[in-house]
Order: sequence, then C-alpha cells, then structure tokens
Amino acid sequence: MITSIARKEFTEIVRDGRFKWTAAIMVLLLLTAMLAGYQKYNTAVRIQHAAQAGSNQQWLNQGDKNPHSAAHYGNYAFKPAGPLSYFDNGISNYAGTAVFMEAHKQNFAIGRPATDQSAIARFGDLSGASILQLLLPLLIIFLGFTAFSGERESGTLRLVMSMGVTNRQLLWGKALGVGTAVLIVVVPCILIGAVALAMADSIDHAEGMGTRITVLSLAYLMYAGIFLFLTLAVSALTRHARTTLMVLIGFWAFTGFLMPKAASEISKYTNPTPAFGKWMADMRAHQLRGFDGTPPFVKFMGYTKQLLKEYGVSKPADLPMYFVAVRLQKLEEYDYPVFDQHYGMIRDAYAEQLRVQDRLGVLAPTLPLRSISRAISGTDSIQHVKFMSDAETFRRNMVLKMNDYLSKASVHLNATFSSSNYMRADEEVFAIVPPFVFEPPKLSAIITEHRSNFMLLALWLAAAIGLAVFAANRISLESS
Amino acid sequence: MLKLIIIHETRQLARTGALWSILALLVIAIIFAAWSGGRSIDRQVAGAQAAETFEDGLRNHMRADTEKYAAKVLAAGGEYQFASVRHAPGAGPPQGTNAGAVGAETSKFVTLPPTGLAALSVGQSDIQLNYLPVSLATTLDMTKNLELENPINLAAGSFDIAFVVIFLLPIFILAMSYDLLSSEQERGTLAMILAHPISIRKLMASKIISRAAVMLAVVLGFGVIALLTVGTALDAADTWLRFGLWIVATLLYLAFWFALAVLVNVYGKNSASNGTVLAGIWLILVVIVPQLVSMLATTVYPAPSRMELTIAAREAQTEAEKNFMSKLDEYYYDHLEFVPEGDEKAMDFLTLAQANNNSIEKAVRPLYDKFQEQLNKQEALVQRFQYVSPAIMMQLALNEISGTSANRYEHFLDQVYDFHDEWKEYFSTKFLQRYPLKPADYDDFPEFEYSEEPFAAVLARLTPSLLGMLILFLGVVLVPFMALRKYQVAAR
Repeated sequence: MITSIARKEFTEIVRDGRFKWTAAIMVLLLLTAMLAGYQKYNTAVRIQHAAQAGSNQQWLNQGDKNPHSAAHYGNYAFKPAGPLSYFDNGISNYAGTAVFMEAHKQNFAIGRPATDQSAIARFGDLSGASILQLLLPLLIIFLGFTAFSGERESGTLRLVMSMGVTNRQLLWGKALGVGTAVLIVVVPCILIGAVALAMADSIDHAEGMGTRITVLSLAYLMYAGIFLFLTLAVSALTRHARTTLMVLIGFWAFTGFLMPKAASEISKYTNPTPAFGKWMADMRAHQLRGFDGTPPFVKFMGYTKQLLKEYGVSKPADLPMYFVAVRLQKLEEYDYPVFDQHYGMIRDAYAEQLRVQDRLGVLAPTLPLRSISRAISGTDSIQHVKFMSDAETFRRNMVLKMNDYLSKASVHLNATFSSSNYMRADEEVFAIVPPFVFEPPKLSAIITEHRSNFMLLALWLAAAIGLAVFAANRISLESS
Repeated sequence: MLKLIIIHETRQLARTGALWSILALLVIAIIFAAWSGGRSIDRQVAGAQAAETFEDGLRNHMRADTEKYAAKVLAAGGEYQFASVRHAPGAGPPQGTNAGAVGAETSKFVTLPPTGLAALSVGQSDIQLNYLPVSLATTLDMTKNLELENPINLAAGSFDIAFVVIFLLPIFILAMSYDLLSSEQERGTLAMILAHPISIRKLMASKIISRAAVMLAVVLGFGVIALLTVGTALDAADTWLRFGLWIVATLLYLAFWFALAVLVNVYGKNSASNGTVLAGIWLILVVIVPQLVSMLATTVYPAPSRMELTIAAREAQTEAEKNFMSKLDEYYYDHLEFVPEGDEKAMDFLTLAQANNNSIEKAVRPLYDKFQEQLNKQEALVQRFQYVSPAIMMQLALNEISGTSANRYEHFLDQVYDFHDEWKEYFSTKFLQRYPLKPADYDDFPEFEYSEEPFAAVLARLTPSLLGMLILFLGVVLVPFMALRKYQVAAR
C-alpha cells in the first residue's frame, strides 16, 4: 500500500510543471556553484602552495645578517584552503589568510578576501552548501505542501481514507514519494561533484575524504528529512494548501535567513568583543606596564642581577653568553602572557559566540547544519584557530632559535658591543628553523567537537517525524 | 467608491489575525535591527576613540619628556639638543626631540566618521577598518589591519534595518498580498463584488492601497523611531537629507514588491500556486541573482592574490635591504634603543629606515593599486548588473545613503594617503635636518580632518539605483493593470 501511495505521489510531482522548473533551476545552480567553487579552489591551492614555499625560501635567502635581524625579517604562514572548501567556503572569505611571524609581535591574520570584493558579496556565496541549505528545503516544501491539505481541498483525501488506508501508511507513502522526487534531483548533482573531485589531481588529499563525504551526506540527508516531515506535518495540520505554504515558507525564511543573522547578533550581545582599536590599545598598554604590573625593563634589571649572581660575575660583559641576545629573548618572553591573555580572550569569545549560535539551533535546524558543514569542509573556526596557534608556536620557536644561536655564537662580542661590531649569520644558520607547515586538526576531533550539533539535528528530525505522525493520526474521515 | 472599498478592505485586514502577527513580527524585527545596528556602529566609534587616545597618549608622554628636558636646559643652561638614540631616563635629550622617532614610533589614528544613518545600514563598515594608523611606516602597513570581528558573524552579515527592508519586508508583503484576487475567487465572492458598480482595477488598487498604507505606516513610523534612537548627528541637515533619500528608496522598493504581487495575482491561478511563484521569485531576486552577480564580478575581475602581494612585498623589502643596508647592520635599525650612547653611525639607521620604507612603498605601490583597480572594476560591473535585481539596487542605494559604501571609503582613503604624505614630509624633513623638536612643536603636528564628499556626488551615484527601481516598478505595475481590463471572472 505504501508503495502505491508513494508511486502516486511521485508520479504526480514529476509530472507537475513546478517540479520541472524548480528541479532544473536547482541542478543548474548546483552545477554552476560546484564548477565555480572548484575552479576557485584550484587557484587557491596553487597560490597557497607557491606562496608558502616562496616565503620559506625567502627566509633562507634573506641575505647574511644578524640572527635576531633574521627573526625580525620573519616568515609568513599562509592558510591552506579547506579540503572541501569548493563545496562549502564557510568563513574563508572573512578570516585572514596570512600571518606575519616576526620577532616581538604576535599578529592577527591579515588579507581577508572579502576586503577585495564588492559590497554585493555580502549577499553570500553561491556554493553547493548554500544551495543545499537554502534551496533544497524550499524544493521540498514546494513538492510536498499539498500532500494532505491539497487532497483535502480537492476532496480526494476523504476518498483515500474511505478505502481503508491507515493514517500511517498514508504518511509513509507520501514521505517516500516526495523523498524520492527530491533525491532524483539532488543525488545526480552530488555524484557529479564526487566524480569531479576524484578526477581532480591538484587537490590536497586531506585525511578521510571518504568519511568527510559520508558524514556530510548524512547531515544533509537529516536536514532534508527534517523539512520533508515538517512539510507533511504542516500539510496534515492545516485546512488549506495556501495556509500550509505560508506557514512553511515563514519557517523556511526564519531558519534560513533570519536566524543566522539574529543568532550572530545575539551572540555578540552575550559575548561582546572589543573593536580592533580598543583591543589594540588595551593590549599595548598592558605590554608597556608589564603583565603583572612590573614593566619589562624593570623586570629585566632584576633578572640581570640574578644572572650575575648565578655566574658569579660583576658585569654583564663577563657573562658566558651574549648579553644582548639574552635581553632580547627575555623581553620576548615577558610578552608571552600578555599575548596569551589578549589574543586568547578574542579566541575564546569567538568560540563562545559560535557555541551560543549553535545552541540557538534549537529554534532553527539550519544553524547546527551550517556548523557541521563548515567543520567537515575544513572552512570553520576550528581550522582557523588551529592555524593561528600553529603560526604562533612557529613564531616563538623561530625567535627563540635565532636569539639562542646569537647568544651562544656572539659571546666574544660581549665586551666590545657597538653598532659596527656584530655577528652575521647565513643561510645555514637560518635553516635551523624548520619551514612552516600547517597541521590541520584531526577529523575525529572535529566530529567530536560538533557532537552536540549532530544531536540537535537528530532531535529535530525526531521531532519532525513525531509531529508528522501525530498530525497524520489526527486525520479522520470526519475531519477530512 | 474607491474610498469606501479602501475603508472596507482596511477594516477587513484589521480583523485578520495574520495581519497583526505579520506586523508584530515586523516591528520586532525593526527594533532588533535598530538595536544591533546601533551597537555595531557604537563599537566601531569606541574602537576608533580608544586607538586614537592611546597613540596620542604615547605622543603626549614624549612631549612631557621634552618639557622636562626643556626646563632642565633652561635651568642648567646649555643647548637644547636633538636625541640621537634613546637614553636612560634623565640622561641627555629625550627621544621626543627626535622627529624621526616621534613620527615612526607613534601613529596618528585618522577616522572616517559614521554618517547619522550608519546604524541603519552597516554595509561594509564591519569589514573595513574605519580608523587607520598614519606614521612613517608604509601604506601597506597602514592599511593592513582589519576590524576585529568574528568571521562567523561577518559571514552571517548584520541584522540591520537594511536587512529588514531588503529581505524581510518583501516576504511580509507577499504574505499579505499573494491571494488578493485568488482568495476572493476561491470563496466565490469576486463575482459578487464585481456585480457592483466597481471595476476590477479599482478593486485591485484599493486592496493594494489599504495594505501598502498599513505597511508604510509601520515602516515609516518605526523608521523614524529607529533614526531617533540609534541615528547620530540628528541636528545636521545632512542626516535628514539622507533620511529623506532612505524613505524614497524604501518606498520604491516596497512599491515594486506590491506591484509584483498584483502581477502574479492577475496572471496566477489559485492562491497556493501564487504563493509558490512569489516565494520562488523572492528567492531568485533577493538571494540567487545577487549571489550570481557577485560570482560573476569576482570571476571576471578576480582580485590579485593577497598572498602573492605579500611575497612580492617581501621581495622588494629584501632588495631594498640589500641595496641600502648591505654595509650596515640592520640589527640596530630594529633596536635603536640598544645602540650605545655617542655612536655616531647609529644615526644613519633611521635615515636608512626611511629610505628603506620609501623603496618598499615604491615597489609595492603598483601591486597595491591593482587591488583597488580590480575592486573598482568589480564595483563597476555590479553597478551595471544591479538592474537585474531590485535587492542589489536597494543594497547599493542604502549603503550609499548610510555612508557605508566602498565609494565613501575610497574617498576617505584618498584623504588618508594625502595626510600620510603630509605626515612623512613633516617628520622626515625635521629629522633629516636634525632639528630638535620642542614642546611647542607638538602643537604644530599635522592634523587630519575628514572632509565629507559633496552631497551631489552621493546623489549622482545613487540616481541609477533609484531610477532603476522606479522603472522596474512602473514596468511591473503597468502590465497587470493593462491586463486587468480584460480580466474575466468566469473564465477562471
């Protein structure tokens, strides 16, 4: 019985002009988006590889100079595109792409692609993800909203009920019919995308590509399921097809357009972050007065005394290490806790903001799905935070290695310190700092991090199915 | 007769629960948008102030040092001298007498002030940094900082009044008017009404007018409230001129959506299918077309890669260093404070540092200009293609009106570049002359005052968008009203 209901529903949908139009538009858009995204991704990968290799090379070829000057010259960390960024570009346009790693200063990532785009870019990226998050639900609504209320209006629901079909059969039959119609639009597109991916050779084969695609497909299927059952539920609960449609479109606009922005504003209120100017002024003032209130130079005087005592000498020139280098490294380290506090405050606030937004997924299923999709595509904040912290680790190590080398190799200059008396190091010395390599976070860690989002999606799906069952059970011969 | 039907329609509307819930949602959205837009602008302004205060504080500190030094010189006699390198506090002339140090180690933050309406359309102002540090550093250093904001929030975009107007209002309008004729038809009342001495055009017009009147009352009423609560510079004529334009743009935009609803009603079938068509059109015009145009712009005129720019800038830096510093140790260029007192050679480092910056600037400038050029081309393409979607026209118009557009920012940047040159000129000349800065000189430092672009320029950029919306509206509204002449109830 279920299959014949499904077949009827399916045939009816497929023969409808609405289906042909919406399906054609969706397929066209999906293919365009994937193609354009893929082309951009290829360019991005090529440029990032070249830039990182170039910067690592520049570090070595910077010319003979004092090791500490070399640390000032520094190196750049360039953020690689996420492995599935051509499907979901996530926050990539709005997060910086390059971190300058230099002596004395921790830096934010600079080079936000959105800065180099017109204001229209704020309407969002056309990507596979945005189409599946926004268009797919609308397609489902269009195909399914008449399932019960339409039949009720035309009087056929009464007819079907009188033939002894159980409410449950009716529901599952319709779900199957509409679901199949949706799938025959979406699945070919996804297959084409996957095949294109497999044939591409320039792609960085990230860890667990198969797992990524499976998890993503699962999440999007759950999302589609939520809309499918909600559509059927509302259709069964409302008297007129036009009411069904308005309720569903209202919900769709709410979850897809209104909530992402509203959630972002709410999270900015619950976890406010300072603007750049305020943050910068606070941090630099903190640096000047010292982390614990003792200015770095005062602190260093104390350290010098301690050092002299330790080595049993009376003046810095007699120390068995190059005193200038010791001072450089020490001052560097006095700044660590200040950086950790101020950069950490921003990082934690951002993470907390995301958590708030994810929690608001209780009201809008698009929010948890969005987070999952970005995370699995490697274009979310977990990836970005890891990148920033890798860069900072690299920076501290680079500066330490250079100062350390200087401190050991220039001991003999301690007594004759002047601007014409210094050591020069060459490529061989610079090579003790290994090139910058970004280690993306582990896939398993990403999935664990988003456990609650998967749970939210599952809850939504369960609630939608529950509502649909409840609504279908209410239908009776009398009420139809 | 028309008046009678309008009154009747309005009464009928007032009795439907749907209308009230739509209006309630709209009011909540407007209040929320005004609140969040206002917060966003306040945050930027506070950021600009903090940055400026901090840097000015550094300079004031240097000035205080020179005052102490001047008093000392006056008391002890002798010459007011120029600090070659930084000395321990109290010994010798302070660093504040050295124009090279003052101009390079402190910055002057220059600010693009928000217009009175900035909170209504945040536009690009959450991405662009509206306050830039001007010092002896390069243009690249000056413009590299970004406004700090969670990328997740930037990607989601602001929930400002512009969003409510562009995205939400059309949905509300469509929900109110997707079944203007079809519902009467489905109930069978249309034939009855038309049996009275009223033309279907008048009926349609009165239905639309009553709905539009309700919608407008809410939008304008709360628009004014929003302006009064989160707008700034309310006593300036500029603010009210801009608000007038804001109203004009909003009216045109709303008119288009009402016209579209009429069009679909006239040619449509039943209510449900009208609803699907209208929702589909909304999605295409407000979401998909803008995204496609944006994609087109970035594909046809892609910005050069920032990564490649960085590498090229480094290349230039390395070259410059090799040319100018090969015989000297740049180590001291980084750490002038460590150069022992009386080291004559050290003085050359600052000179070299400036030469170095200049040559980097020269090498990078063409690359940097290419970004602006590509961005301008993208903007031009969007300007040309804006007519395909009222949402694009509206967004461009609102950004212009609120002063958060790329054009106004560029106008600001031009002034900043000029000021940067002025700053460099002032401080490097004094430095090269080894002129000892006196406390009084601190009052003569170059000051920045943003001069607003002439209103005519804003208007000129705005006109195509407004005209486009007007033409689109007329086109959409004329067709159905012509067709209504032949509308036959029985044929449906």
